[in-house]
Amino acid sequence: MKGSLESGSRLLLLLVVSNLLLCQGVVSTPVCPNGPGNCQVSLRDLFDRAVMVSHYIHDLSSEMFNEFDKRYAQGKGFITMALNSCHTSSLPTPEDKEQAQQTHHEVLMSLILGLLRSWNDPLYHLVTEVRGMKGAPDAILSRAIEIEEENKRLLEGMEMIFGQVIPGAKETEPYPVWSGLPSLQTKDEDARYSAFYNLLHCLRRDSSKIDTYLKLLNCRIIYNNNC
Amino acid sequence: MKENAASRVVFILLLFLSVSLLNGQSPPEKPKLVKCRSPGKETFTCWWEPGADGGLPTNYTLTYHKEGETLIHECPDYKTGGPNSCYFSKKHTSIWKMYVITVNAINQMGISSSDPLYVHVTYIVEPEPPANLTLELKHPEDRKPYLWIKWSPPTMTDVKSGWFIIQYEIRLKPEKATDWETHFTLKQTQLKIFNLYPGQKYLVQIRCKPDHGYWSEWSPESSIQIPNDFPVKDTSMWIFVAILSAVICLIMVWAVALKGYSMVTCILPPVPGPKIKGFDVHLLEKGKSEELLRALESQDFPPTSDCEDLLMEFIEVDDCEDQQLMPRPSKEHTEQGVKPMHLDLDSDSGRGSCDSPSLLSEKCDEPQAHPSKFHTPEGPEKLENPETNLTCLQAPQSTSVEGKIPYFLANGPKSSTWPFPQPPSLYSPRYSYHNIADVCELALGMAGTTATSLDQTDQHALKASKTIETGREGKATKQRESEGCSSKPDQDTVWPRPQDKTPLISAKPLEYVEIHKVSQDGVLALFPKQNEKFGAPEASKEYSKVSRVTDSNILVLVPDPQAQNLTLLEEPAKKAPPALP
Repeated sequence: MKGSLESGSRLLLLLVVSNLLLCQGVVSTPVCPNGPGNCQVSLRDLFDRAVMVSHYIHDLSSEMFNEFDKRYAQGKGFITMALNSCHTSSLPTPEDKEQAQQTHHEVLMSLILGLLRSWNDPLYHLVTEVRGMKGAPDAILSRAIEIEEENKRLLEGMEMIFGQVIPGAKETEPYPVWSGLPSLQTKDEDARYSAFYNLLHCLRRDSSKIDTYLKLLNCRIIYNNNC
Repeated sequence: MKENAASRVVFILLLFLSVSLLNGQSPPEKPKLVKCRSPGKETFTCWWEPGADGGLPTNYTLTYHKEGETLIHECPDYKTGGPNSCYFSKKHTSIWKMYVITVNAINQMGISSSDPLYVHVTYIVEPEPPANLTLELKHPEDRKPYLWIKWSPPTMTDVKSGWFIIQYEIRLKPEKATDWETHFTLKQTQLKIFNLYPGQKYLVQIRCKPDHGYWSEWSPESSIQIPNDFPVKDTSMWIFVAILSAVICLIMVWAVALKGYSMVTCILPPVPGPKIKGFDVHLLEKGKSEELLRALESQDFPPTSDCEDLLMEFIEVDDCEDQQLMPRPSKEHTEQGVKPMHLDLDSDSGRGSCDSPSLLSEKCDEPQAHPSKFHTPEGPEKLENPETNLTCLQAPQSTSVEGKIPYFLANGPKSSTWPFPQPPSLYSPRYSYHNIADVCELALGMAGTTATSLDQTDQHALKASKTIETGREGKATKQRESEGCSSKPDQDTVWPRPQDKTPLISAKPLEYVEIHKVSQDGVLALFPKQNEKFGAPEASKEYSKVSRVTDSNILVLVPDPQAQNLTLLEEPAKKAPPALP
């Protein structure tokens, strides 16, 4: 009697566990509100969410850059000084489609994470300094604030994806550190605006990279190169 | 010497200049880079606009260098993009690097360079229009017919690998219409259009856009003719719907007609009228009091367990700070009937003292907003005190009685000693009376009918039931009540006749009835007992005890040996009915 009860409960447990394993990735659940580790989210949903956020960040960055360009950079030739000014240029990111397709998804993901992490600090200072900018239009400030928030969200999501796609991988890769704060705070207005221009230009470019890589990974991993 | 050489050179130069001016030749004007576009984010092409060539054959070259490189390259392909263009193949395209591009115009006279253009390939994406647009009319058997539009992604875009994310816009209109109907799709390469007008020729166009970039040009127009016999609407479904709704309406009308009243009552139930158990209104109207009373009696009268239930849900007296002790009922009243009441008052869970009339009256203050919820058994003004079984009634303002007259009904838990001659429904706390007169009348009536069972306890209880709250109000109301009572001719039969001095100041719920005198026609004149405190006008204090009740509603009193004026009293039954309202 007791033995049959035990075996029955074991069987039930086995059924439940097998159901969970089989059903993983089929049913989509909402993203965990309490942070990672509290609930199971399907990889497809994570990628969907990440792609949406990265797309949004790139849109915001482009708009912010265009606004700044229109208002502060007309006829100033800031672009000539924006070459080679990004702090993330040391990261070995692929530069075209072929290179990106030949890069392993593990490498791509750690590159994305490195980019996201290296932008945390500059975004924070960007918001602070734009606030203090004389006559800063709300269009720029509001977008800066939004981008900072979304960047954090995307970083969270990417860490979750990384944990799921490559379980057990260490993610303590070093990331490039931004040191452009003094140039943002300089008294010389032209130099300051030039520094802002560089920062916004680099942000736009890096957000484009992140967006493209993520969309590539999404099609590769979730849709098996059949988007 | 030197001066001569210099002047000679100048002279020759001027000569040349003048010669060339005369010929109309000059170095070329600065060319201008118009735009650069990438159709698939893998290659890109730049176009320029030449300036005036200065009359001489001019060559154009395009030179560029990439961000982070110092080496200057020349355009790899001048042909693919057409005239005045430069095509950068995959090999020469880097997506996230800035290109600095310059066009140079060279002729015999000189070189002119354009302003540099800074090109970032990600931001110049503009795809070609979608290809292979096909239109097809479909007539599936069991569904509505539609127009099926299909297309394929533009050339040079890699959608499958996810490198190029695309979205489409389709627009169509009848040939002669002015407004386009637009549709958007994300990844799908087909669209189904319903609701087409038969006999029209439709024009369809499509364009696309990358996730970040420019819209493509509209594809060339495709047209399709909708035949005249194209079935637009599926009318059979509408006919079915119409018939069904008509049938439903008919059913509803029929149901309403048949059971209109019951449905209405179902939706809006009528407020139940007053119902006294065993009280037959019709008998009352006929004036047959005897039958009425008999009907009342026969209805399990006196009420037993029901009564208890009704009586049990009473006042809930919450914390009372000032524990006004109820004046202990004097121990001399050891009659059987009295005891339970006393015990009731004392034996509740420590709250008996709270239920002093003054306190209860305070609590009765609260539900004053609900006057005259006479008839419903669930009166809002009842205060609960299940333990003490004390209830609190309210007289509403309709009688312009400012205070209230709480009636304290001490009910024995045992049915054997039912303290009330009346059915509890009358004196239940849920009822409030419209006027004191009614109360008196009812009480009288009930007292009259049940005079047979009236014994000492009942008398006491009656008195208790008529306990008026102490205090200023109580005094006034009692007086008014008494006046009201005494206005009725028959009311001095049973009811006490309070004098100016109201005896109930001290919050004693129990009063004893003294028979003051017996009139010649056998009417009992009773006195409250407490007259002795205030100096009773008559010296005699007489107590009588009801020994039994005869059949014909006759009180049989036991003569008290101490009393002097006690006689056997008869209360004619016919005295009681007139008291009834």
